[in-house]
Amino acid sequence: MKHSNFVKDGEVTAFADTSLFSKDAILKCLYWFGDKFHTNVSLADNFFQITLKPLANANVKEDELDLYLQKLERDLIDFQLRDTIAKETQNVRDLLVAKAFSNGEFDEEPQGNISDPVGFNPNLNA
Amino acid sequence: MIETRPDRTTRKFKEIDFYDKQETNQYFLLPFRFHRLNNQKEVLVNEVGDHLVVPDGTTHAIVTKTLSKENNPDIYGDLIANFFISEEVIPPLIDVFATRYRTKKSFLEGFTALHLFVVSLRCEHTCHYCQVSRVTTDKGKFDMSREHINKGIDFMLKSPNPHVTMEFQGGEALLAFENIVYAVERTKELALLHNKTVTYVICTNLAVVTEEILEYCKANDILISTSLDGPNYIHNENRRRPGKNSYELTIQGLELSRQIVGRDRVSALMTTTTLSLEHPVEIVEEYYKQGFRNIFLRPISPYGFAVRNERKNKYETDKFLTFYKKALDRILEYNFNGEYFSEDYATIILKKILTPFPVGYVDLSSPTGSITNAIVFNYDGVVYASGESRMLAEMKDYTFKLGHLDENSYEEIFYGEKAQQIVESGINESLVGCSDCAFQTYCGADPIHNHATQGDMLGYRPTSSFCHKNMEIIRYLIELMDSDKRIKEIFESWVKPRS
Repeated sequence: MKHSNFVKDGEVTAFADTSLFSKDAILKCLYWFGDKFHTNVSLADNFFQITLKPLANANVKEDELDLYLQKLERDLIDFQLRDTIAKETQNVRDLLVAKAFSNGEFDEEPQGNISDPVGFNPNLNA
Repeated sequence: MIETRPDRTTRKFKEIDFYDKQETNQYFLLPFRFHRLNNQKEVLVNEVGDHLVVPDGTTHAIVTKTLSKENNPDIYGDLIANFFISEEVIPPLIDVFATRYRTKKSFLEGFTALHLFVVSLRCEHTCHYCQVSRVTTDKGKFDMSREHINKGIDFMLKSPNPHVTMEFQGGEALLAFENIVYAVERTKELALLHNKTVTYVICTNLAVVTEEILEYCKANDILISTSLDGPNYIHNENRRRPGKNSYELTIQGLELSRQIVGRDRVSALMTTTTLSLEHPVEIVEEYYKQGFRNIFLRPISPYGFAVRNERKNKYETDKFLTFYKKALDRILEYNFNGEYFSEDYATIILKKILTPFPVGYVDLSSPTGSITNAIVFNYDGVVYASGESRMLAEMKDYTFKLGHLDENSYEEIFYGEKAQQIVESGINESLVGCSDCAFQTYCGADPIHNHATQGDMLGYRPTSSFCHKNMEIIRYLIELMDSDKRIKEIFESWVKPRS
């Protein structure tokens, strides 16, 4: 089933495929629209259906809604990228912070052989 | 005879293949965030604040793993070298990376450095933006008592930080100069016993300064921090006093202070008001004219009437940003003409962007600098989390009252439940909206501002004036550096230590 995004009756409606977008990415993206829009998300047929309805005092003009739809479409991709990075790097980030505040007890010997190119250590054979 | 070393037959640097850890064109992401700088470019920032400005679409290519060493050698090399991606699951230099992370957070090691003593609430000015001062001669009621000064000093010397700053504020601090002398003399003795170095600062409008006061400041190495809001028509309008001569007195006091205490021991701060917003260039030029080679373009404080009107706050922030950019343009113009002239807010942010070190600036710290870096001992013995907290208290909001010098111990105030709640709300790594923000390492968290403007310490970023202002200033500074090499060089000169 094909879903097309549209602007109708003063509202923006967009669809996001659940196989491409995570719930976290959708919610984080919509958070930033909260200053101007009432946002709503529902799930049907493996698609998130997103609606943006301008807040009464937000001063959003009808002819600007197409631009907001474009912004939403772009932001959804950006927040999905952020979500992918955050989830893929969570373990390294945890390790990094743990090491940073560990006072050195988890430090490891640097990899590789230690060479002596300037002859600093006379006991080390070339 | 000098013994010669035998010829070496081994190469100490291996062939490039030796260092190539990549298997099957695979690479792994390291934690980083990105922000669209403009329509053509995006900025990537890693966990320790290193940044790369790259063409639009680069993040997409990195994340979808369509970037390759063969096809994109320059950007690929930059990403590897700057810890954005790694050819191994755990980068070989993770300990170096961790040390850099620790360095960025090293401002936490010392704990509270800045101790503000409100020695008197009395003032001879009636500045329209000031909500705390009193025009009165009632010393008994509005000056800090000796007992509270003693207890404040004892608290300050209990700080784990070996270097503390004792800053005297008002009202007009010099109206209680005898209290300052008492406090400095007592601290000097006790600091030796506690092995602390203490920096003394007096914040003053200089209207009542005398040669004797300044001689004492010189003898005791006390810094003078004054207020200059711009040319006389701005300064006198903002800072009202009988005679309408605040500007003239400040300039006279400035000259005298520089003569006696020394030019490098006297600084000035400006407060931005609605009137100031119309005169960015004139304010910068006034600072230049008065011999300053830096200016701190401080944002309008939200503490006052209607602070919780989000739409008005956004409007004010937009106007401030326009003001800031115009003023920065004028400052850069001085620099293009070969003069050194820096802007302090930009310098704080640029230090975070361009150096491996943290900046102990209360408003741009995470965890928040309130309590962990600065504390206020009010004239009546009440302890507040920051100067802004006491402004809120004047508006009958005591959320950030941490305790009282007479009633609470150091531990209860600095490590108590309320302190923990405030600091916990001021960690931008875990705040909604901030946790994914590319500028997280350059910015901070300000639970007091959030509470004052949005009624909630955690805050709501889409309508936050703090977020709106900082995000745009940081974006703008990076865009300026990227667009003009001369500006990058100027900014680099601002963050270098100056002797």
